[in-house]
Amino acid sequence: MVKTEKYQNRIELLQGTLDMLILEALRWGSMHGYGIAQGIRFKSDEVLQVETGSLYPALHRLERQGWVKSKWGVTESNQRAKFYEITKKGKEQLVAEQERWQRMVQAIGAVMGAARTAE
Amino acid sequence: MRFWARWERKKNDLRAELEAHLRIATEERIARGESPEEARTAAVREMGNSALVADVTRSTWGWQWLEHALQDIRYAVRGFGRNPTFSFTVVLTLMLGIGATTAVFSVVDRILFRNLPYSDSGRLVSVGLTAPIETQEFALGGFYYEWQDNQKPFVSLTSEIATEPCDLTEVNPVRLDCAHVEANFLPTLGVAPIAGRNFLPDEDRPNGPKAALISYALWEKRFQLDRSAVGRVIRIDGHPIQIVGVLPKDFEMPRLQAADILLPQALDVAAERRQSPEHVMWAFARLKPGVSIEQATAELQPLFEYSLRLAPAPFRKEVHLRVRSLRDRQFHDVHRAAWMLLGLVAAVLLIACANVASLLMARGASREKEQAVRAALGASRLRLTRQALTESFILSLAGGIAGCLFAAVLMRLFVSLAPEGLPSLSEARIDLRIFGFTLAVSLACAVFFGLISATRRTGLESLTQRTRLSSSRALLRQCLVTAQIAMSLVLLAGGALLVRSFWNLQTQNLGMNAENIVTAAISLGQTSYPTAESQMAFFQQLQHNLRYGPGIAMLAMSDSLPPGGDHRDQIFAPIHVEGKPQITSGTGGTVAWRWVTSDYFSALQIPIVQGSGFAEEELSSSGNFVVLSKSLANRIFPGQDPVGQQLHLHSGAPDSENPLCTVVGVAADVKNGGLAGGEEPEYYRLRRNHPEDWDHSAVVILKTNLPASVSEQWIRSQVASLDPTLPVDVNTLHEEVGKMADQPRFEMMLVGFFACTGIVLAMVGLYGVVSYLVVQRTAEIGLRMAVGASRADILRLVLRGALSMIVPGILAGIAFAFVMTRMLSSLLFNTGTHDPAVFCGVTVLLALVTLLATFIPARSAMYVNPTVALRSE
Repeated sequence: MVKTEKYQNRIELLQGTLDMLILEALRWGSMHGYGIAQGIRFKSDEVLQVETGSLYPALHRLERQGWVKSKWGVTESNQRAKFYEITKKGKEQLVAEQERWQRMVQAIGAVMGAARTAE
Repeated sequence: MRFWARWERKKNDLRAELEAHLRIATEERIARGESPEEARTAAVREMGNSALVADVTRSTWGWQWLEHALQDIRYAVRGFGRNPTFSFTVVLTLMLGIGATTAVFSVVDRILFRNLPYSDSGRLVSVGLTAPIETQEFALGGFYYEWQDNQKPFVSLTSEIATEPCDLTEVNPVRLDCAHVEANFLPTLGVAPIAGRNFLPDEDRPNGPKAALISYALWEKRFQLDRSAVGRVIRIDGHPIQIVGVLPKDFEMPRLQAADILLPQALDVAAERRQSPEHVMWAFARLKPGVSIEQATAELQPLFEYSLRLAPAPFRKEVHLRVRSLRDRQFHDVHRAAWMLLGLVAAVLLIACANVASLLMARGASREKEQAVRAALGASRLRLTRQALTESFILSLAGGIAGCLFAAVLMRLFVSLAPEGLPSLSEARIDLRIFGFTLAVSLACAVFFGLISATRRTGLESLTQRTRLSSSRALLRQCLVTAQIAMSLVLLAGGALLVRSFWNLQTQNLGMNAENIVTAAISLGQTSYPTAESQMAFFQQLQHNLRYGPGIAMLAMSDSLPPGGDHRDQIFAPIHVEGKPQITSGTGGTVAWRWVTSDYFSALQIPIVQGSGFAEEELSSSGNFVVLSKSLANRIFPGQDPVGQQLHLHSGAPDSENPLCTVVGVAADVKNGGLAGGEEPEYYRLRRNHPEDWDHSAVVILKTNLPASVSEQWIRSQVASLDPTLPVDVNTLHEEVGKMADQPRFEMMLVGFFACTGIVLAMVGLYGVVSYLVVQRTAEIGLRMAVGASRADILRLVLRGALSMIVPGILAGIAFAFVMTRMLSSLLFNTGTHDPAVFCGVTVLLALVTLLATFIPARSAMYVNPTVALRSE
């Protein structure tokens, strides 16, 4: 039995991070939902698996924010699919997110590093 | 609509997007070398529940709650369509419950909670003395002004004296009601005229300028709301009087009597203080802020002592001071009826609620499987609860709307049935507040029942287990049915007691024969008939003209008619027999009396049991003659023959008002205190051919063998030939007696109505629960039959289940009714509150009805096909 709450919990956990990952994936050109998920998975060496139940709500949320826009197109294998493309606003958001992320990584790293030297 | 189309397009778009996702995923797997089937299965598994993904995605769009609500509504309506009996029963139950509540609340609101049309009416009180002869508080001119000068608890004290018929003697003369009030009457009540002004102090003095305030209704009818009416001079009873103001539309007299014109009472205060002539008044006052009624009563005590000294010694013990709120004064005897109504309604509403609850719970239990499936498919608990709430919300709303319509019908019924005694009922409307009240009741129903049916378990076990009775719920439901049966027994017992009492009332012996009697009440105007001579001349002429008319068997005149309580009264103490000592302590209670003509007894067939009654020759005699009722004769002349004895009726009064009367007969007792009232001792005085025996009003009593409508026309033509402007009130005595039974009939019908509603609801509830039990136990019944149980055994099984609700219900009901019917005691006539016949009858009736409600589902249990029943599991 699948519970709705599971999805929603994970969305909550990845919120921001998932958005950033998606925006990053779109930086090199427009892509459909499956492609984005595969791209993230491939680049993270299969560590990050984006579930469809998180991916599509995130995409639609980003679209509502105006950070991505979508239009129907055709894949290389001639399949009809909806392609997402990052907007100018989305790029600014990505930069902001990245800076925030870097600060966060440094901060956490400093804390964890301090912890390790204390051992 | 545009919004809707866009929404649908977006939904389709999302579905296509997810399908594309699946296709691309499958294709990639195929490209990696998986077989097409394997690839597809794996892709689907990876994707998860696509409907749910779509659902969660849509929730980011922000309009999902609306979609869900619409979905729930569609789903609920479809569900109702599949099970119309269930939905119909619930809506009907709610309609009866809510409709009855609203209608009765509207009525009771008018009686108990309405705002009186006076500013800050909570501080208005009615002040005065009560005495055996007048149980509503009154004041007398002899002490009223003393009170007004010396009272402390009131901002102001005011009074009104009699409201009398008066004639507007202009073109198109009309008979109106003129009230006579003190100049500070309106300011004390806190009422301001909407045009013109209140009376000036000068206008309230004897021989002061003549001024009048007119009612809004009169202003509208007579002057078409013309502002220039103020200042006009009208003629009332021939006197020119200036209109100085117009009363507000909602103005009413504090005693609720009709009044078209307010006149200053213009009493001679000095003469009143000397008690010559003394007026009866009704006094009203406005309490000072912060003064309670109890405080006011205590502070008035010295003034009360003073007024007691004015009363004759025998009275003093029986005279009391009374201060009570104006509201209590107005509704002194309808309070009880109103609270009874509220109690009835609460009972019916409780039964209805219990019914709906048990119906919804039964339905919920039978849908456990369906709910479990929906939960397994990904419906969250919140969503399922919301669905259940939506369902009961729709049901309650439908019930509320149907109830409102039903209430409107009921109101019309109440108003048309209500006796005139219930004040201002005809103005009762279903207003917005009451509509809000209904809505609140139905919403409370929605939340309550919705939660009850939503809190059932929705786990996997419902899917795998056989659906079975969850025992605590079943017990709760059975308790509800038991309570319903008990409650209906109480209602039914109350209804039956009132029916029996009404029957006693209708079939009682009135002591006279009302058959074929037509009465005509006439009241002569002061202008056209200013003297007793002219009044006597008119009535005697009318008597002469009527006597030899077609079909007239007998003709008499009186000033009042039995069995109503509207007759002359005096107290017993001043009745003094020549040569015997007078009673000295107490008043001796009241004695009724009437002025009659000699044929009064034969026309109404009241037997003369001793003596001969009035004789024709006594009409012109200078002596005074009296006929006593049997009970009065027994009291004054115990063990003696009263005929021929002589007595004074008003000892202590001046001689002119206290003649020596000769007893010429004793008449059988006649009902004279209303249908349900007691029989007061009574005497009759002969109206002779002397003006002092006559006044401005009389009732003609005609015994006729013609239809009443023919007689009525003839009477009207005869009166018109004497005085074409004179109004006549023609009735049959039968109708008048019938009108007196209006109030008990109304009470009986109300309680009967609620009893029927209650019993129908209880039947529905019992039927629902028993048939649900049968459905739940179909497999068990099939099994029992398969191993050899007979149909009689099955019937016994079902009956045992039903009896376990019916028997405790009836027993509890009897016990409860024993206590509750005591509240009815004051409404019952010649019927005990624990009448054994009523209690037995009601018990048997309820037992039969409940068994009937059991029988239908029991029958279907008896004909269960064992093979079908067992296979279905």
